[in-house]
Amino acid sequence: MNTLDSAIDVETPERVRFSFRLAGPAQRAAAYLIDVIVRGTVLAAVWFVAGLFGVIGGASGVGVGLALLALFVVEWGYYVACERFMNGASIGKRVLHLRVVRSDGLPIGFPESLLRNLLRAADFLPFGYALGVLVAFVDPRFRRLGDLAASTMVVVERRQPVLPAVVIRPAVQARELEAIPLKPPLRQDELEAIELFLRRASELNVSREQELAELVAPVFARRMQLGYRNAARLLALLYHRARGGVA
Amino acid sequence: MKTRDEFVVQKQSAWSELDSLLVRDRLDGSDLSRLSALYRAVCSDLMAARAAGFGTDLLGHLDGLAARAHAVLYGHGRRRWQTGLGLLLSDFPRKLRESAPFMLAAALLFFVPFALGLASTLLSPKFAETVLPPAALEEMAEMYSKSVSEGRESGTNATMAGFYVMNNVGIAFRCFATGILFGVGSIFFLVYNGLVIGTVVGHVTAVGHGQNILAFICGHSAYELGAIVISGAAGLRLGWSLIATGNLTRLGSLRVAALGTVPLIAGAAGMLLIAAAVEAFWSPSSIPYPVKYAFGGASLVTVFSFWAFAARGTRRRDHEKPSHVTLEDPA
Repeated sequence: MNTLDSAIDVETPERVRFSFRLAGPAQRAAAYLIDVIVRGTVLAAVWFVAGLFGVIGGASGVGVGLALLALFVVEWGYYVACERFMNGASIGKRVLHLRVVRSDGLPIGFPESLLRNLLRAADFLPFGYALGVLVAFVDPRFRRLGDLAASTMVVVERRQPVLPAVVIRPAVQARELEAIPLKPPLRQDELEAIELFLRRASELNVSREQELAELVAPVFARRMQLGYRNAARLLALLYHRARGGVA
Repeated sequence: MKTRDEFVVQKQSAWSELDSLLVRDRLDGSDLSRLSALYRAVCSDLMAARAAGFGTDLLGHLDGLAARAHAVLYGHGRRRWQTGLGLLLSDFPRKLRESAPFMLAAALLFFVPFALGLASTLLSPKFAETVLPPAALEEMAEMYSKSVSEGRESGTNATMAGFYVMNNVGIAFRCFATGILFGVGSIFFLVYNGLVIGTVVGHVTAVGHGQNILAFICGHSAYELGAIVISGAAGLRLGWSLIATGNLTRLGSLRVAALGTVPLIAGAAGMLLIAAAVEAFWSPSSIPYPVKYAFGGASLVTVFSFWAFAARGTRRRDHEKPSHVTLEDPA
C-alpha cells in the first residue's frame, strides 16, 4: 500500500502495522543548523554573563571556570537534555517536526539518547559529520553510527488532516448524466485518484483545477467515446456515476 | 459497503477524542483505559481503511494517531529515565567486572606506552623532544619547578576545574565514541595519552622536580587515569562487537554491546568529575606532601575496591536486557 520508499512499517504486539516516515538528509541538516544557532546563542549569553562576573564581581577566575563548564554541558549535554524534555526532539527537530524513536517505534530512554549523542564524536569524523552522512546514505533507514548503535531512527511527526468529504457543486443534473455510461469502465485506482482530486479541488484555484483534470480527462473521454467542455466537471460526473449516484 | 465519507463521519468523534487524550500531560486510570480502547479501535479502523483503499490522506491520519497512541501506551518513558543513580552505583561496577578482558586490554594500551615514555625520557632526555615540542616541555618543567606549598589563587582553581571537566571528559567521550571504528579510535587515544603523560612525568622528573609532580598528580590520577582506561575499554567493546559478532548480525551485535557500554561511559564521566574537583582544588593546595600521598593511596584503594566489591549480589535490573533487541518471533 505504501508507495513512499521513506516509510518504515512497524508492527505492534497486536499485529497492527503502522508506518513512520523517515527524516531525510535535508531535513536533518536543517534541524542541525538550527541547533547550532541555538547552542551558539546560549554559549554567547553564558560567556557574556561570565564576563560580567569578571568586570563587576572581580571574580574572573570563577566566571571563566563556569563558562568552560557551560561549554562542556552545551557541547555534550544539549541533545540528551532536549531529548529528555522534548519527547525525543531537539529544538531544531521540533521546528522541522522531527523526532527520535527507537527502531520499534517506541520513545527513546536515557541509554539510547546518551549513546546516539556521544557517538556524534565518531559521526563527526573526519570533519563536518562526513562519516555519519556516508553511513546514513548506505543505511536504508538513513541512520548515522550513533543511531545504529543505539537502535534509533529519526522520523517525521505526522499530523495529517483528513481531507474534506467529496461535494460536487453545482449539483449533478440529469441532463449532464445522459451521456455518461451507467457503469463507467474505471479501475479501482483510477477511481481513487479521481476521488483524491475531487477532495483537493476546494484547495485549488480554478485554472489549476482544470489543468490537472486535463491531464487525465482525455484518456477517459476516449475510452468512453465522450465529448466534454469542462474536464473537472467530467471527472466529477464519472465519479458520481461510478459510486452509483443518480441525478 | 460503506463509502469513505460515511466511514469518516461515523468514526470521526472517536478519533478526535483519542487526539484530545494524546495531547494531555497527565492521564489518570480511567483516561488510560479509555485511551487503550480508543487505540484498539483506531487500529482496526486503520486496517479497515487500508483494506478498502480509502485514500492516502486518511491512512496517513490514522497512521499518525495509532503511532502516537502506541508511543503513549507502551512507552513508560518516565521510569526509563530515572535510572541515573542506579546506573552509577550498581550497573557501573557490575559492567566493569563483566568487561574485565577489555579493561585489561585498555590498561595495557595505556600503561605500556606510559611506561615506555617514562623510561625512555629518564634514560635519554632527548627522547621527550620526539614526543612533544620543546616549548611545551619547557612549560611543563616550569609549571612544576615551584614547590606547590604556597598553593594557588582560588579564582585560578575555579577556572582550572572548568577546564578539566571540559577537556578530560571530552577526551574520555571521544576515546569511547571512536571505538565504533573497529576499536581504532580508542586504541589511538589510549596509546597517545599514555605516551604523552608518561613523557611529561619523565621529563619533569629528569629536570629534578619529581617530588612536585608526584605530589600534584597522586590525588586525582586514580580517578582520572582509571576513567580514561574505562572509557577506552568501553570503546574497545563497541569495536570488538563489530568484529566478533557471536550468533548475531553485525548490527545486532553492535546494539547489544552498545547498550552494555552506557553504564561504563556514564561511570567514567562521574569519575572524571571527581578527578576534576580534586585536581583543581586539592592537588595544587598547600597541604603537606605526606598527606597528599596518603590521600592518593586512599583514592587508589577506593577505586579498586569499588570495582571489586560494589553492588555484588544485587539483582540484575530489567533495563539491562534491552527489550527491543530480541530475536525474531520463534512462532
